[in-house]
Amino acid sequence: MPHILFFSRNRSTSVEHIDESLVRACCRLQDTLMDAVVEILVRLPDLELAEVRAEVFRSERVIPPDAMEDLRKAIGTRIGPGLLKIMKGLVGNREDSRELVNMLEECCQGVILSFTKDALAKAPEDGEKAKAYYTGLVKENVRLYDSCIAFAPDSPLVQGIEPPKRSREG
Amino acid sequence: MLKFMRNKVVGIERRDEDTLQAYGVLDDDIYAVELGVSLGLSDMVIRSIEGRFKRWTTPECPKAIPVLQQAVGFCALEEGFSQKVQKNIGRKGCRHFANLLVECCSAAEQAARLIRGVKLEKIPTESPDPQGRAQERSERLAKRELAQATETHARDGAGFFIDLHVHTAPASPCSVVRVDDVILEAKRIGLDGICLTDHNYVWSKAMVDQLAREHDFLILRGNEITTDQGDMLVFGLEKEIRGIIKLDDLRSLVSETEGFIIAAHPFRGFLLFGSGQLGLTPEKAMERSLFKLVDAVEVLNSKVTEKENHFASQVAKSMGLGGTGGSDAHQVSEVGLCATRFFAKITSEKDLIDALRGRRYEAVAFKKRRDGF
Repeated sequence: MPHILFFSRNRSTSVEHIDESLVRACCRLQDTLMDAVVEILVRLPDLELAEVRAEVFRSERVIPPDAMEDLRKAIGTRIGPGLLKIMKGLVGNREDSRELVNMLEECCQGVILSFTKDALAKAPEDGEKAKAYYTGLVKENVRLYDSCIAFAPDSPLVQGIEPPKRSREG
Repeated sequence: MLKFMRNKVVGIERRDEDTLQAYGVLDDDIYAVELGVSLGLSDMVIRSIEGRFKRWTTPECPKAIPVLQQAVGFCALEEGFSQKVQKNIGRKGCRHFANLLVECCSAAEQAARLIRGVKLEKIPTESPDPQGRAQERSERLAKRELAQATETHARDGAGFFIDLHVHTAPASPCSVVRVDDVILEAKRIGLDGICLTDHNYVWSKAMVDQLAREHDFLILRGNEITTDQGDMLVFGLEKEIRGIIKLDDLRSLVSETEGFIIAAHPFRGFLLFGSGQLGLTPEKAMERSLFKLVDAVEVLNSKVTEKENHFASQVAKSMGLGGTGGSDAHQVSEVGLCATRFFAKITSEKDLIDALRGRRYEAVAFKKRRDGF
């Protein structure tokens, strides 16, 4: 068979820190079947969704206007654990809006990664110093422990860190 | 000026009658990864994967490449496919690879639709039925009772200790422990009772009464309900809530039944480096509307960090709300890590709600306290 693409997709997500209390994220999807954009405004420090906007420029599947309006039900929720479950629950898991929900999720991930980037950019070049730096990051947010292979229990980057499973009286 | 940008590009080629080949690139400010994924067109099962890092952060990241092979055999049409990839490839390997793999498979699914001219249906998974199979459960229980000897424990101080936050399988899909095992463990470690708070699931009164009789142990019913403002532990509400409910609406329902709402792990964090940059303070957190709609706050939860529990405790205190404790157990070893000490004996769900309303309780790290730490 000739090596011609049957389907192609570009997805671009960008994040802008507007000021100390507001972040804007935008996800643009262009593929063989769809062209759409989802944009969110996020209020700090709660990471609360303050605005959600969606527009579909082209779609093989009919996207009813209420599907885009449904996305706005996510306004008021906070970016954090379980957000996708909450969004799917609020917006619904209907087939015609599934991609828009995915785009909303990409925007939220982008917001989190925009903060992650600053912390990672400070990692030293030197091997031992870098190791100590990453260990420090996990100590600061122990939830990172065992969150990926770099911070798996047998990784040298988490040596000496107690797994986050014990209760602590606050 | 942009702070962060991620670009993903995926192309799908039809290699032969029954093979789709996906090639994907994820390139963002932090990582650049590539994937080549081969899938069966007829079944959408992943046949092979090749991965490559172009840019990465920690020296351990390249070890994620062999982990990709764990996804060979996964079916992209399976319900929960994305979560399965996040769990097996993201958590055990690299989250960026997981993200790109889901993207490649989603694109392949769309390509298959085009080729076949029909919509591929999701394969449903089994729905939980924890209240069925009573006979099987009774037999298992009898064997377990024989195998486990109940221990007696000296406890520090008087009171009535209940773990207010426990999940069981299969009522909570995220739990791996069966209800009988939870109860046996609760008895073994010296708790006085437990509340079954499965996710959006209401146990029948008859079933719970039967369990209580069989085990001669206090078992109460609650429910962990996901709202737009996060998870809530609810007591005294018989209605089964499906999906996500607005906290305002849940408040109205619970008020009608004179029930009780506890904000569960309200400051549970997420995977973020440098979370301190956000600048969240207890004063700012108190402005959240959710604290005006709940009756109490879970200030001891074994699944969150010490800092997050402490933060919840500060907010509860400042708001004049009571603070409860619950293990949030999803496996046997977690039962009783945290609990709530009531100042008087609780014998029923009504007693529980009355005690919660009367603020006659405190949160305790039960196992630590029991072990004298």
